[in-house]
Amino acid sequence: MIELKNVDFHYGGENGTGDGVDALNLTIHDGEIVVLCGESGCGKTTVTRLINGLIPHFYEGELLGEVLIDGVNVSQSELSETAKKVGSVFQNPKSQFFNIDTTGELTFGCENLGMPPAEIARRLEKTKDDLKLSALMNRNIFELSGGEKQQIACGSVYATEPDIFVMDEPSSNLDQKAVHRLHDTLCKMKQAGKTIVISEHRLHFLTDIADRFIYLNDGRIEREFTCEEIMQLSAEALSGLGLRCTSISQIPCAPQPLNQQKKPALEVLDLSCSRQNARILDIDRIRLPEHGIIAVIGDNGCGKSTLAEALCGLLPCDGSVSFGEAYLDAKQRQKQSYLVMQDVNRQLFSDSVLEEVMLNADVTEHDAKSTLSALGLGDYTDRHPASLSGGQKQRTAIAAALCAGKEILFYDEPTSGLDCRGMERFAALLHDTQQRVRLSVIITHDPELILRCCTHVLHLANGRVSAFYPIDLAGAERVRSYFLAKSEDSTSKKRDHTSQVGKILQYAGDHRKTVCFAAFLMILGAAASVTPYGIVSILANRLLTGESVTLQNSMPLIGGILLCEILYAVLYMQGLKVSHHAAFGTLENIRCRLQEKLEAQPLGSITERPSGEIKKLFTEDIESIEMLLAHMIPEGLANLFVPAAALLLLIAADWQLAVLTVLMVLIGLSISKQMYKVGMDRMGSYFASARRMNNEIVEYVGGMEVVRVFNRQNDSDAKFEKAVREYRDFALDWYRVSWPWMALYGSVFSHIVLYTLPFGGLLILLGQLDVTRYLLALILSFGIGPLLLHCMSFVGAIPQVSYKLQSLERALDTPPLKAGDAAFSGTDHSIRFEDVHFSYRDTEVIKGVSFEVPQGTTFALIGHSGSGKSTLAKLLVHYYDLNSGRISIGGQNICDLTQDALNAQIAYVSQDAFLFNKSIMENIRIGRKDAADEDVMAAAKLAECDDFIRSLPQGYDTPAGLAGSMLSGGQKQRIAFARAILKDAPIIVLDEATAFVDAENEQKMRRAISRITQGKTVIIIAHKLRSVQDADRILVLRDGQIAAQGTHDALYQTSEDYRRLWDISAQTQDWKLKQEVTA
Amino acid sequence: MGFDVYDDESKALLHFDPRTKFMLFVTSLIVSVNCFDLMPLLIYSVFLCAIYFLCGKRMQAVKLFAAFAFLTYLKFAMERAGTGAPVVVMIFSTLITVFLFFFPVLISLMLITKTTRINQFLAAFQAMHLPNALIIPLAVMFRFIPTVQEEWQGIRKAMAFRGISMEPAAILRAPMKTVEYILIPLLFSTISVMEELAAAALARGMDSEKKRTSCETVKLRVHDDLVMLVFLGIAGYFVYRKITGGAA
Repeated sequence: MIELKNVDFHYGGENGTGDGVDALNLTIHDGEIVVLCGESGCGKTTVTRLINGLIPHFYEGELLGEVLIDGVNVSQSELSETAKKVGSVFQNPKSQFFNIDTTGELTFGCENLGMPPAEIARRLEKTKDDLKLSALMNRNIFELSGGEKQQIACGSVYATEPDIFVMDEPSSNLDQKAVHRLHDTLCKMKQAGKTIVISEHRLHFLTDIADRFIYLNDGRIEREFTCEEIMQLSAEALSGLGLRCTSISQIPCAPQPLNQQKKPALEVLDLSCSRQNARILDIDRIRLPEHGIIAVIGDNGCGKSTLAEALCGLLPCDGSVSFGEAYLDAKQRQKQSYLVMQDVNRQLFSDSVLEEVMLNADVTEHDAKSTLSALGLGDYTDRHPASLSGGQKQRTAIAAALCAGKEILFYDEPTSGLDCRGMERFAALLHDTQQRVRLSVIITHDPELILRCCTHVLHLANGRVSAFYPIDLAGAERVRSYFLAKSEDSTSKKRDHTSQVGKILQYAGDHRKTVCFAAFLMILGAAASVTPYGIVSILANRLLTGESVTLQNSMPLIGGILLCEILYAVLYMQGLKVSHHAAFGTLENIRCRLQEKLEAQPLGSITERPSGEIKKLFTEDIESIEMLLAHMIPEGLANLFVPAAALLLLIAADWQLAVLTVLMVLIGLSISKQMYKVGMDRMGSYFASARRMNNEIVEYVGGMEVVRVFNRQNDSDAKFEKAVREYRDFALDWYRVSWPWMALYGSVFSHIVLYTLPFGGLLILLGQLDVTRYLLALILSFGIGPLLLHCMSFVGAIPQVSYKLQSLERALDTPPLKAGDAAFSGTDHSIRFEDVHFSYRDTEVIKGVSFEVPQGTTFALIGHSGSGKSTLAKLLVHYYDLNSGRISIGGQNICDLTQDALNAQIAYVSQDAFLFNKSIMENIRIGRKDAADEDVMAAAKLAECDDFIRSLPQGYDTPAGLAGSMLSGGQKQRIAFARAILKDAPIIVLDEATAFVDAENEQKMRRAISRITQGKTVIIIAHKLRSVQDADRILVLRDGQIAAQGTHDALYQTSEDYRRLWDISAQTQDWKLKQEVTA
Repeated sequence: MGFDVYDDESKALLHFDPRTKFMLFVTSLIVSVNCFDLMPLLIYSVFLCAIYFLCGKRMQAVKLFAAFAFLTYLKFAMERAGTGAPVVVMIFSTLITVFLFFFPVLISLMLITKTTRINQFLAAFQAMHLPNALIIPLAVMFRFIPTVQEEWQGIRKAMAFRGISMEPAAILRAPMKTVEYILIPLLFSTISVMEELAAAALARGMDSEKKRTSCETVKLRVHDDLVMLVFLGIAGYFVYRKITGGAA
């Protein structure tokens, strides 16, 4: 039990956290969850500090009254005693860790309390499991995102298992998933009978678990609410109290007027960004409209901050970024943009606010002052920035950005830890600056801010753009559903820091040894190629020392030269042979791997890619690995290793010449590095344009027919030409910057001798060097020159290879479908959709659909095209992952099933039946691989396709390719039916199965359908309503939602939508019949 | 990346007790100050690199050793040849010698900071029966390095937007101004971080009088003893030689 009796406290000295509290009386019973709420500076944090004893032990000031925990006065007991009973989580994630590694941090509290190691290990395990922290174990805390840190902070307190938890704004840096996890953690703590005191601005996630809300104002407890009472407060009342919303679904949204300007303020093409070999961003394209206020949302650690930093030029990245349709490099972007950091302290450099604003900015004092007063800082121009409050510091930083004429402003979680007023003020500020800047981009986890003032939402997932949509009414709904979505899985994962070459070598598997062997052979070969130079120098020495050089006594040496040459040739060839063997073996591995990956991916992410790209991936990009494994690694190693050895020899000959040579090589290397750097800047755009051109060509050829028929040559030509021209420009641009450097290092490396020659001569004249050594040095330089040059020829190829490897890696690491590994264990074959949301990228297609199909019934889905019927079917067969919600069969979530197990339960007949290029027999057998020929034919009979198959030239053995041209759409469809019959799955999904059927076939078709569906759970999607008239239940979909449901008769009575659909359908059917009659 | 405190140590083949690492640091200091011969230094450094290698920093150990070996070789070649303009020779040999003799200290320092967790430090210090008053500041010092590093990175980023250049030329032009630009934000943010850090540590019972336990088992094992013995032997030998050499 916590008792605060008549507590008065005022901080001594300066303190940024409010003035303190007055006359506080509060009793918190065991097992209660109490939320402290109120505006910033109202004393919430002070109360938490009173409870955990930091007041008066750490924060000094005047304390009256007493704080009792279980009857013990906190101010009189040791802090470490209090720490046993009270566990604290603090607001700022970056400053509450004592350790540098996460595991150490989790055990830190337990260790301080002197627990035995075995107990600590047990608690560590428990904490890891309960809070789902396994992805965060054993990591460096400094590489975690803010939200991840906060989870560790909760975990480390959880591990000490105190009776009382005191949390000071624990959610301020968390994404919505982590907030849900925090909520669940709190539930668990509550069940365990813990007492929890939370000081918090975000109230919405606490309304179902908190017992009381204590509202503080100006250091006094003003009101107390129960959950029901606080939920009943209207938005205005809450705002009047300075409180945040209590329910996300009720956040009001005033859609911002969207300007329809087509001009983008910021455009990004093919941006990718890596940190220590781990790819963080992989973005195809973003276009952000002018004067927009863009909210960037996504889970913790998905790359939001990295995106902002890459866009404003702080982080090196590949790809092209343009501001206002002009491509800019990183430096230029830094000049034109500004990032308001989460920790504003770092951004203030000067002694006074005015000076701060005018620092390096080209503004008059008058303008600076007017900007300041526009932001409400007019009275503070002479204050020291450090003496301002958090919100004022933030505004000072923004004012500085405005004065410096920045065009694009980025904000990193500007409202985390802000109360309602602060958030409202910030939203108003965004409004005011909207027209002054070209674009504002806000990284945020705050739905209230988004719905209040943003115009668009950019949703990132896993470093990729998952959607970009405007906030109109539908968009607002989508934002709400994103923030309400309940998902427990933690997105934190340990990043893989293996370098690209390392990754490729992983794929090489057993071939790795072969590559090493090849490198070894080539090193020997290269050594053999250099040895003759040494022999020549021996010969030359003999001449110089005046020994007689005859053919006879130099014969062995000449023989040696010959032998070396032969050895070189043999070893080198052998090395190449071996390395190619390894390389092509690896290519095979990677292709297979890529194919597996593609198979596991959501269908959407495959079909979204232009087909030209996948082909290019499988053929060209993979080929580049051959270059890497067969040539670059072994040859490059050999060509570096031998010069290095030669250099050591050179040092022995004469160290001064050697130092000179090293110097020249270093200069050459730095030049090639410079080339690599400037090349990399341009290369992203170059490759992006190459890709665009590639896709354009594929599209051009593919669409040729349509283009000609509709006479659209001009449009299409213009697009094509633009892509080609762009490619030319980017390519030339890239070469132009690279060429001078290429020429430079080429000359340095090929003429190392040129620099050593005169210098050596000088040394000889000075008597520092004798001629024999000079000769050896010269000859060695001659020897290694070609090797180095050969090596350098690879340097030019490195960026290309690395780019291709990157695109390969990207394709390999796209997230697969969330398939589980469970077998089917559902109780029956009923199907259940629960609040399913799904979007194809930017457009949300399914908006909260719930229904249940009991086992053995037939449901029909109808609606206009685009209403989401087929999507629902595809979601059931798990072609895509849901955004939120759940689909289950017999109570088992389909995401837990393996794809095979799911497929065994469902037979899905889609709109277009694809026939493989095999015999018809085999095509039907796809339904069940082990089916005998008789079974296949029986199924064909049931599906009413026996007749026409027999009439084909070779009957069942006719190749589908040949038959394909002879079969009508309806006949193909029936072959697909036969497959489904053969499969005999308990659930059947027919997606527009009768679409192609003409009147003659329709009877057969309906017979076939009724045969298939007997006793099964069936979902039929249909345009022709007559065919589903008898369904047990008909769901009418409109715009991704269920508009009405019931039987045909009931719906015809009640649903306007259904009536209209029925009438249209009936009309077209009449029309068809008539047409046939006239024909 | 520069000076990282504590990396991943999953690749480590052997784990040494922090006390052993401190011992190595001390002997390295002794050796660096007292050893003027190339050969013993070479042997000592080989040992150190081997230990660094075993602690999981394989590539780094190999690279550092290669640099060390190369410079030793160059120095050797220079001395043997005996050629070269005196000024150049002097500059080169001084640079090389300084590097070579600081090498053991450098490696042992890296060994301490990069392969030890903070709670291992705490446990080891405690095993050494140091008073809390000494342990906590030492631990905080290790914690402080990455903090400053992180802050510094943030400030560099902020500077980029404000057109504050950190190029050498710009620093030379206005050295005081630059120092101010660096120090003001750095001080303000580190002070607030350190204060909150202290509060957090205290609220979690850091200053408890009760003996701290640790889930890290710090125990001197056979390899610790062996390494300590060898290195103490080497250091002792140098000291002995210096004393006797001085006497003679």
